[in-house]
Amino acid sequence: MASHIGVVPPPMTPAKGNEPKTAEKIDYLNLPCPIPYEEIHREALMSLKPELFEGMRFDFTKGLNQKFSLSHSVFMGPMEVPSQASETIKIPTAHYEFGANFLDPKLMLFGRILTDGRLNARVKCDLTDNLILKANSQLTSEPHMSHGMVNFDYKGKDFRIQFQLGNGALFGASYIQSVTPHLSLGSEVFWAGQHRKSGIGLAARYNTDKMVATGQVASTGMVALSYVQKVSEKVSLASDFMYNYMSRDVTASFGYDYVLRQCRLRGKIDSNGCTAAFLEERLNMGLNFILSAEIDHWKKDYKFGFGLTVGE
Amino acid sequence: MASQSRKGGKNRSGQEGVLARVTNTISQSSIVQQGKLVASDAAFVTKKLLKSTGKAAWIAGTTFLILVVPLIIEMDREQQMNELEMQQASLLGTPPVAPQK
Repeated sequence: MASHIGVVPPPMTPAKGNEPKTAEKIDYLNLPCPIPYEEIHREALMSLKPELFEGMRFDFTKGLNQKFSLSHSVFMGPMEVPSQASETIKIPTAHYEFGANFLDPKLMLFGRILTDGRLNARVKCDLTDNLILKANSQLTSEPHMSHGMVNFDYKGKDFRIQFQLGNGALFGASYIQSVTPHLSLGSEVFWAGQHRKSGIGLAARYNTDKMVATGQVASTGMVALSYVQKVSEKVSLASDFMYNYMSRDVTASFGYDYVLRQCRLRGKIDSNGCTAAFLEERLNMGLNFILSAEIDHWKKDYKFGFGLTVGE
Repeated sequence: MASQSRKGGKNRSGQEGVLARVTNTISQSSIVQQGKLVASDAAFVTKKLLKSTGKAAWIAGTTFLILVVPLIIEMDREQQMNELEMQQASLLGTPPVAPQK
């Protein structure tokens, strides 16, 4: 009893986040650098569009060095072939993919080659502190189906500029700027010479610690809105609305993303009558088991896949 | 004989005539006709309802199986692991770690 006298808990110093935000003056000269324009829907895409697949998948990544690693990957399963009729044709295919990655703080090289003759290559190079060069190409043995693209990114203090050049006379430029610590606005312009199409788009992104809301409008007729709420450290819920005012196509989807200690589970349901789930479970150190399921009630198309990923 | 049978027959037909006439009137009355229509409508609607309920139950069931069942399984495993950790922490005498939110 005596020990309790005189023991007063010290007054809690308020944590920095609890300071009233209205009393803080926004320092407009010190805004954070915004997310790159093409990643503006990043959180929603990560939660709502996992890499669903059908069939069996096996990936093995072996690091030879701190910077260099090789990867082997086998895939067996039905692939959808686009056909004129409303029924999609599924053809069972199997392929093996060999890849090599080189990772350096300044340079990243990434190459993949498949048994059906396709080659994928990506380069990302930091030319200076603020200028990044990215190149990406996909070569196939079919004529006129290969394409390549080069990007120049300049990162300013609170803005980013990107120039894009692609084969087939594709030019693009985008600019995104932080307007307040939470809001960033951007726009892009592109011109496709081969199809004689050009377009302009605008995007906005508002994010706080707990939620991210983005909106994007493009002159190709696409309006996309998304909202991701981080309900707790392990759970986040995402929803997405896409409307094409040229073709009057509306899609809304809603999904969840659970990141638990042993697994990551993503599920989503769509307004097209499609539900999907994707589970990555960690069986052991470096060993991941993947399950993917997609049910389309309208078209009665059911796709289930399983796989194993070995290596970091 | 024949006349008797004919008479009997006539009588019988007369009696049957009465029975037949009664049943005919009953079966051709408007109430019974309406009742038959209602019953066939009801059977049609019930069949459709059963079919659509069956369809809805199938869609709901498979969607629940894909979206919710893995979640329940994983959350259960997470909880088991947490309990195991708390048990081990208390066994080894280490101060219990506050559960991560």
